[in-house]
Amino acid sequence: MSIMMPAADQAVLDRRGEIVAALRAIVPGEGVIDSAAEMLAYESDGLTAYRQPPMVVVLPDTTEQVAKVLKYCQAQGIKVVPRGSGTSLSGGALPLVDGVLLGLGKFKRIREIDFENRVVVTEPGVTNLAISQAVAHAGFYYAPDPSSQIACSIGGNVAENSGGVHCLKYGMTTNNVLGCEIVLMNGEILRIGGKAAENAGYDLMGIITGSEGLLGVITEITVRILQKPETARALMVGFAEVEAAGECVAQIIGAGIIPGGMEMMDKPAIHAAEAFVHAGYPLDVEALLIIELDGPSIEVDELITRVEDIAKGCGSVTLQISTSEAERNLFWAGRKAAFPAVGRISPDYLCMDGTIPRGALPKALARIRELSEKYGLGVANVFHAGDGNLHPLILYDANKPGEIEKAEAFGADILRCCVELGGVLTGEHGVGIEKRDLMPEMFSEIDLNQQQRLKCAFDAQGLLNPGKVFPTLHRCAELGRVHVHAGKLAFPDIPRF
Amino acid sequence: MDTLKVRDAKDVEEVVRAAVAGEQPLEIIGHGSKRAIGHPMVTNAVLDVSALNAVASYEPSELIITVQAGAPLADVQSLIDAKNQQFAFEPVDTSVLLGTAACGTIGGMIGAGLAGPRRIKAGGARDHLLGAHAVSGFGDSFKTGGRVVKNVTGYDLCKLLTGSWGTLAVMTEVTIKVMPKPESERTLLLRSLDDVTANKAMTAALGSPYDVSGAAHLPGSALRFGAEPFASLADAGQSVTLVRLEGIAASVAHRAGSLSQALSSYGTVESLADGASAAAWSALRDVKPFAANGALGASPVWRIVCPPAVGGALGQALARESGGEVIYDWGGGLIWAAVPPSADAAAVLVRRQVEAIGGHANLIRATEEVRRNVDVFQPQPAGLAALGERVRASFDPKSILNRGRMKRGGAA
Repeated sequence: MSIMMPAADQAVLDRRGEIVAALRAIVPGEGVIDSAAEMLAYESDGLTAYRQPPMVVVLPDTTEQVAKVLKYCQAQGIKVVPRGSGTSLSGGALPLVDGVLLGLGKFKRIREIDFENRVVVTEPGVTNLAISQAVAHAGFYYAPDPSSQIACSIGGNVAENSGGVHCLKYGMTTNNVLGCEIVLMNGEILRIGGKAAENAGYDLMGIITGSEGLLGVITEITVRILQKPETARALMVGFAEVEAAGECVAQIIGAGIIPGGMEMMDKPAIHAAEAFVHAGYPLDVEALLIIELDGPSIEVDELITRVEDIAKGCGSVTLQISTSEAERNLFWAGRKAAFPAVGRISPDYLCMDGTIPRGALPKALARIRELSEKYGLGVANVFHAGDGNLHPLILYDANKPGEIEKAEAFGADILRCCVELGGVLTGEHGVGIEKRDLMPEMFSEIDLNQQQRLKCAFDAQGLLNPGKVFPTLHRCAELGRVHVHAGKLAFPDIPRF
Repeated sequence: MDTLKVRDAKDVEEVVRAAVAGEQPLEIIGHGSKRAIGHPMVTNAVLDVSALNAVASYEPSELIITVQAGAPLADVQSLIDAKNQQFAFEPVDTSVLLGTAACGTIGGMIGAGLAGPRRIKAGGARDHLLGAHAVSGFGDSFKTGGRVVKNVTGYDLCKLLTGSWGTLAVMTEVTIKVMPKPESERTLLLRSLDDVTANKAMTAALGSPYDVSGAAHLPGSALRFGAEPFASLADAGQSVTLVRLEGIAASVAHRAGSLSQALSSYGTVESLADGASAAAWSALRDVKPFAANGALGASPVWRIVCPPAVGGALGQALARESGGEVIYDWGGGLIWAAVPPSADAAAVLVRRQVEAIGGHANLIRATEEVRRNVDVFQPQPAGLAALGERVRASFDPKSILNRGRMKRGGAA
């Protein structure tokens, strides 16, 4: 592990027995786990390179229990790490040695389905996919669809502001949630927003979404549901050059077409995926685009024709159009299985998540190729091309000494390159611990201090999920101080009226 | 009162720092088109950002535009219109409602966060602001977000800046998502429905797979003073219910056919083509039936956001009990209510009814005296209000920026 976590509080560790007993008084029965063997299941999330068993695991099943646990921990100065399904790819749910791991897995009931207002009110432990399944009989679905949707929880989706292949057209989690019940670190239970399109006052729902479990613990969520499009069809287009594929993406968007999804894979990713799922991907192309159009059949047919013309104009070398649901799913099968497919060709891989302006794609890929040679590590690229979100998969072998460090350095260089090209460190996986120390590449100390001050408004003692997102932790009192810049009262140069 | 016309972000920092040192609260304005929204402020000087009016970059193929906060909204809209793009959330032009000369600046558009009919499909201003540079009440320039659509790096402060009415920070530059304009549009029209039935028809339309991008209802009594273009669409006393479809022509025609059939149990479905359709929605967006220069120009106006399926019943009760007029947007989820002038603008009545169904009401138009005495923005439960105040203070602890605008007799 190459990342520094906040120093363990020995006084807390010394009182472990007493803390476990106090938590048992709040959450009875099997809701408190303190045996080393059982806690192993919680030692890591989807970022498996980092592992740390917590001090104790607590699994409440009511909002009141969550409130009591947090209030107790705040009073005792104990750190808390919230966790949904543990599928974070940035280490957002990595436990702390002296921290309580607060699992929301028992919050798995959908509380209300309201078709008239087009919302579902759900507990946070419900999986993303389960929401769509619960409303499918009426033709509805929940739009954001992260690849882990079968397992990831909606609470985790809110914490991370998760995306997915369809967020190009339908938005990320933040564009699809309306309200929540949240418990602050002091045990206060608040309800924000609800079934209305906007909440009153400042947009607190907007700031909680994507806050990576640092602001509060969500115990209920209201999400927007949509009617499923009448139909969807996909094109699978191969290009001899990455640049041509990038140009095709730009021209489609430029023509005013917003596809339901627009994904790109490079040659190593195509080969890995094809070997794994036999989707019929062309193996001699440098880039493959999967473009999905959804809506009424008449619209989809028309747009397919337009996209086909654009692709041919950009010099496509292969082009297939799905003629059935089975074929469309086959096109997607390889893309959706790209991560495990890469897992088959390399003992380990690191998945990066930068976003760049669409137009910078060829530059970014060229730079990634150079870095791959420099570090002597392979890389396969899958890419949400429509919104510029890159997922380079860096191939390495954890059993070879020094390779993980090399892979991490390679990954950091890729993210720096994304920022240089006008992009950002993370498009959908979150900062967590993985990109924490790279935050200064994108933000100044002033920028980061403003973000941390906001955290202070929710959690003045900094006990909720510390060590994530921010490279340096400051005390709230220090951040809140206003420095008076004396001697500038007259604004001598500024025009007055 | 001094007006300080800043030329760059550095000037803004300097003015705010001096204001902090001298404990002199500042009113932040662009064109000042929305100054009459909110409580009368407790400020000693005006910080005018209208000279920060440059377009930093516009990249149509990236679907983004980066502009300084003082850029005139109308100019920016013409610029993107020339590339056949738009702000998909249909920012409200408040000049009609407030009787001001122009529709203001980009900074005002974001600070107010007022979205039009397409919000039900495309989201609000908060969903389109991708990044911002701003000066906090500490007098420090900070940035948040970025220049790409997909970004989860750090807290999404853009969400807070949107709709914060200048009480958190002075935005100096913003990056906003732009979207292609639809190739064509068509509006389906039903007449003579009462509010509750119209609400049901709109709910049916929005629950259909036909990708509705606008759903509005204008009761006959709200149209009795001849508000165009609606008055010409209906006979005297008749209500009109409008449902908009947008997209490529073939798709719009197809969906219009299917949706007309689905709505046929509510009456004869008529249809408005491109120009007539666009005129109706822009008039609705700007709340033209309650225009400052119209018959209801002196009436206080509430903007009520509520769960959409109960909007019809709420609006009907509000109109009846207040003796005012209502119009509905967002399928019933947005109600504009013009109430007869009174000392409290019917605040007690409006808030009681709106809160009971999980909505909120902000008083968008009222005299200065009324705005002094009534909570303009929906009061919140104590815990939430306290959190909101801590959030505000995390940006502006001395309450230098637009002091008193959002909270009656308070710091924000």
